[in-house]
Amino acid sequence: MGAATPIRDLSARDLEPILAVARDLAASFDLDTMLGEVASAAKQVLKADRVSVWLHDAATDELVLGSSSDLGSVRIPASMGLVGSCARHRRLINVPDCYADERFDPSVDRRTGYRTRCMLSLPLIDHKDELVGVIQVLNPASGVFDEDDEALATVLAAQCAVALQRARMMDAVIEGERMRQELEIARSVQLGTLPTTMPAVPGYDVYGRFEPAGLTGGDTFDLQVFDQGLLVVLGDATGHGMGPALTAAQMQAMLRMAFRLGADLDTTFTQVNNLLADMLPADRFICAFIGLLDPGAHRIRFHSGGHGPILVFRAATGDCEVHRPTSFPVAAMPLPALRTAATLEFAPGDILVLISDGVTEYRDSQGEEYGHARIHEVLRQHHGKPMAELADLLLESVQAFAGGAPQEDDVTAVLIKRESPRPPAASSFARSLDSLEAIFGFVGSMFASSGVDASLRQPVEFAVEELFTNMVKYGKASEAEVCLTLVRIPGGVEATLIDHDTEPFDITQVPDADVDLPIEQREPGGLGIHLVRRMVDSLEYEYREELRQTRITFRKVVKGPSNSGGATGDGHAHD
Amino acid sequence: MLTIENGPPGVVVIAGRLDSAQSPTAQSFLDRLQGAITLDCRGLEYISSAGLGVLLKTQKRLIASAGKLRLVGVNRHLRDIFQYSGFDQIFEIEPLE
Repeated sequence: MGAATPIRDLSARDLEPILAVARDLAASFDLDTMLGEVASAAKQVLKADRVSVWLHDAATDELVLGSSSDLGSVRIPASMGLVGSCARHRRLINVPDCYADERFDPSVDRRTGYRTRCMLSLPLIDHKDELVGVIQVLNPASGVFDEDDEALATVLAAQCAVALQRARMMDAVIEGERMRQELEIARSVQLGTLPTTMPAVPGYDVYGRFEPAGLTGGDTFDLQVFDQGLLVVLGDATGHGMGPALTAAQMQAMLRMAFRLGADLDTTFTQVNNLLADMLPADRFICAFIGLLDPGAHRIRFHSGGHGPILVFRAATGDCEVHRPTSFPVAAMPLPALRTAATLEFAPGDILVLISDGVTEYRDSQGEEYGHARIHEVLRQHHGKPMAELADLLLESVQAFAGGAPQEDDVTAVLIKRESPRPPAASSFARSLDSLEAIFGFVGSMFASSGVDASLRQPVEFAVEELFTNMVKYGKASEAEVCLTLVRIPGGVEATLIDHDTEPFDITQVPDADVDLPIEQREPGGLGIHLVRRMVDSLEYEYREELRQTRITFRKVVKGPSNSGGATGDGHAHD
Repeated sequence: MLTIENGPPGVVVIAGRLDSAQSPTAQSFLDRLQGAITLDCRGLEYISSAGLGVLLKTQKRLIASAGKLRLVGVNRHLRDIFQYSGFDQIFEIEPLE
């Protein structure tokens, strides 16, 4: 396509527009602007009446007149007419009388109302030898296009092809970036609806976790306490792009609103389904488990629109039950009538496991699915662990299985465990400092056997020692042993020290030590209770007159990441 | 269990648990010292208020004779306790790396 032929009298007036178009095309990234510039440069250089620039749409093998983003634009198959012939053969075609040429397609003239007399068609080929389009120069002032015009047009066409291709690629990049930003926003809306802290449910250990995969995905979960019980949701909205993330967020919001307003499970499930069915396109739906746990009755009632498997680990047998969805996916169609909700009963130690398709469909590098059996194996080995830890172990097991294969879908897990009531560990100790070693041994073995977070051991030992030594020091009249009871509570431990045959002395009323005094005014002692208050989460004192018995109870639980500073820290010296 | 013994000159190495039962042992060891002492706490796992009393008594005695006690290799749990008790203002404390 190079312009090897020397051009007769290339005047400064001819050259200037060519250089100008080279300059403008290099600086412009906008396709529409560029198309206009190409057309006006060609008109000026070739002294033509009109210029058409056709872009090749490789996806449909069509030629599109003007900007491809213009919906009203003229499209023709890339094999049709003179323009098609030029595109197909990638050769310049100079036709002095169009209506005498059988390849000429007069339909464009008919559509535009223009009369094409003489036409020069040039293929636009970029530097990778790809067809970008065709430029057609119509009706020159001189009557017909000569060889010099052809050479000039060829130079111009080569310039335009590269610039147009660049503009098209830039358009695609911008479009891609816009979509990415929209996805990011949708993603943050979706993430913003997830619970940030797990609710405290007496007798239960509940935990939910969401691991997003890339930017698309429509998983959600919810764990929220309402008057009706604990709402348990795990959902997966279908589709690609930003839709699923927003749909998941919408369902979440509707469910919370309905339950907050006091609606029951069946009404809520039906209404949310029907509203979403009206709203969403026919090919979009949400596989969702929606249940209400009554922690007092140890029963969960649920509807599962298309979400399965629903796994229940039975602690008594070590077996894993697999339950199926109760109905078709949420929003797939309006519900004419609803079956009564399914129920599951929790025996002590039982775990309800809801896991998004992302996990069971997770594939290793050979394409094998993770499946239920592996989940069951993790449950059998680790069902005694706290649910947050079990969730970690499940995900670790999935990742180990995948062996580095990328996570293709969101992974979400919701675990609901009815705690096994453990008999509290209790032991009595002689009122002597020599008992401390045995006391620490007792605390250590309770921690080891109950699975209470090991980071709590030091502060619990500290509080027990301080309270015990106080009883030894101030209860010299008593001969009775001090009884220490430790029991696991959600997220931590509760300790009770019982001292018999004592006088009342409410340690919770002891004022804090002044820790800001200069060293010369500070005396050893008086720090024990001050520090205990800062090390534990609650401290209660009770005196039973009729038994002459003092009971001191404290609780210590693991703090969330937001307040991981340890103890209360109020009245601290640096404040 | 608690061990307390002399390390390099000017350094005392303390390890284990400084609780109420062990405090008298630590106190009688520290009572013999004079001058500027570095207490190497890298092996000290636990301290209770009785242990704090031992350190405070020792610090007051040493300061009165122009000496002092410096604590190095202090773990996180101990640092919390030193902080809540204001000991971070009366001891130079160097945390465990």
